[in-house]
Amino acid sequence: MNKTLTAEAMMNQIPDGASITIGGSSLSRKPMALVRALARSGRKNLTLIVNVGGPEVDLLLGLGVITKVIYAFVGFEVMGLAPNFRRARQNSNVTFEEWTEYTVMAGLDAAIKRVPFLPTRAGLSTDVLTVNPSFRTITDPFGGETLVAVPAIHPDFALIHVNYADERGNGVILGDGHIDVLCAKAAKTTFMSCERILHGDELQRFGRDVQIMRIHTQGVAELPWGAHPTGCAPEYRADLRHMEEYMEATGDLERWHAYQDRMVWVDHEQYLDRMGGRESMVSRLHV
Amino acid sequence: MMEYTLDELMIATMAHQFSGEVMVSSVTAFGALAALVAKKTHAPELAVLATPESGMEVTPLPTLTLGQFLTDVQRGIPLTMEEIFDAIFCDLFRIWINPAQIDQFGNVNISAIGPWQQPKVALVGSRGIPEDTSHLSQIFYYVLHHNPRSVVSRVDFRSGAGNGPERDQLLGRSGAPTLLVTDLGVFTFSGPGGSMAIVSLHPGVAAEMVQERTAFPIAGLTDSFAITPEPTTEELEIIRTADPLEVRKLELLSGDKAAEKFVAIYERERQALHVAWPTRSRI
Repeated sequence: MNKTLTAEAMMNQIPDGASITIGGSSLSRKPMALVRALARSGRKNLTLIVNVGGPEVDLLLGLGVITKVIYAFVGFEVMGLAPNFRRARQNSNVTFEEWTEYTVMAGLDAAIKRVPFLPTRAGLSTDVLTVNPSFRTITDPFGGETLVAVPAIHPDFALIHVNYADERGNGVILGDGHIDVLCAKAAKTTFMSCERILHGDELQRFGRDVQIMRIHTQGVAELPWGAHPTGCAPEYRADLRHMEEYMEATGDLERWHAYQDRMVWVDHEQYLDRMGGRESMVSRLHV
Repeated sequence: MMEYTLDELMIATMAHQFSGEVMVSSVTAFGALAALVAKKTHAPELAVLATPESGMEVTPLPTLTLGQFLTDVQRGIPLTMEEIFDAIFCDLFRIWINPAQIDQFGNVNISAIGPWQQPKVALVGSRGIPEDTSHLSQIFYYVLHHNPRSVVSRVDFRSGAGNGPERDQLLGRSGAPTLLVTDLGVFTFSGPGGSMAIVSLHPGVAAEMVQERTAFPIAGLTDSFAITPEPTTEELEIIRTADPLEVRKLELLSGDKAAEKFVAIYERERQALHVAWPTRSRI
């Protein structure tokens, strides 16, 4: 059994209009190499589903290929607001649906459990319920209490990046897990990139760190530095200097197009070269 | 008494609020340092995390990029997001939240300035605040720049539930605002109708200055208030030892000074990590 695919072959399976959930969290372990391949694929009218979103949402919004975003948060943490997200929220035809961290998890979990919704108190007495048309309030049939019904979220695809994987599609996550397991289970098709592909028996030595099970995975690609410019613990940290460069590039159209030419419309090897090559990346970012 | 700065006064004040055997996330430098001070002084049972979601039983080191690496080098206990939210739902979790706006009834906003549908400034989104403000028996907020744009009469968007009839009906006291610490003082939400009231003002702060920098009339405002206790020598030493790069100062700085400090910390923090915890071997 061998599920290895190139990033490009994965993206060929994604149609226009697909809904895609993305793992990681803000500046941590985002599948950025896959996201750049998605950007190059020319797919459009996509729906993104994220819990804590960051550069992946911002980049795809900046390329104009997104029609809807489901999110609990989109930002660059210590770096501030995500510029393309901010611009799109303030002035664009993109549909934004604000959820919360647990309700995104509950929506994916409802899909996994094949139930139409899961109940929670999260969101009561906040304006999230006012602006998000997906939620309903329901009455607890046992005790009569008012609860929020979180509808199931059914992503067509999940994109995640992990430390190690085997060819069969098992994946090891060594840093914080975020909601990658939920993404992989809830999506109809899961594509996973990894820092390194290991033999199955080597991978199995990681025990409980094997968090992604192959029964949920349809494609695997070895893409070292595949989370860059976000970090991938415990190997490399987020490249905040590059994030600064990115944020400056979003400031006007000319610089933004130049950034795309240099960093998006190139394959992964060229991308690493443009970052100064692997040796320089190790010296700046390895921990 | 050692000399201290505003960030240290606020962190020590925040630390005093923690108690019991509960989980504390390290989301901001202020919150992480407050948890550490509490754990090393009056609240040794606290379960302090290295990151917002993981790394239990570590000594937090405020950094820009190294939270998860701290978990690794100190062999912190790896948790999952499910465990974090279960701790929140079971009221075994505490956090200091830094909202963009807080209002007289303790509603908070991190989603949008102006109308949500057409924001003047789109902020980040409610994240996990609705979970906190519907389940925790203590909710702590801090604001670094107390002014009429941050301490407002009504938030533009309720990311987190304050006091009021809707909360009383739907949530009772679960998740109600407990305390607000700002650069001017310490406040509760125990005034009329669950409105903001003064607990203490920081040394040198006058009541009328607080009123000037607050967008609504503060209930029960008089001239005599308690003064916030100054940080002890022990508290200051814990803060300074744990944050040698002064990441905590970044939250109060802006402009060129913030940019310079930011770069200096980013370039030096790997070295600081390795000095404190020599890297163990990996495969």
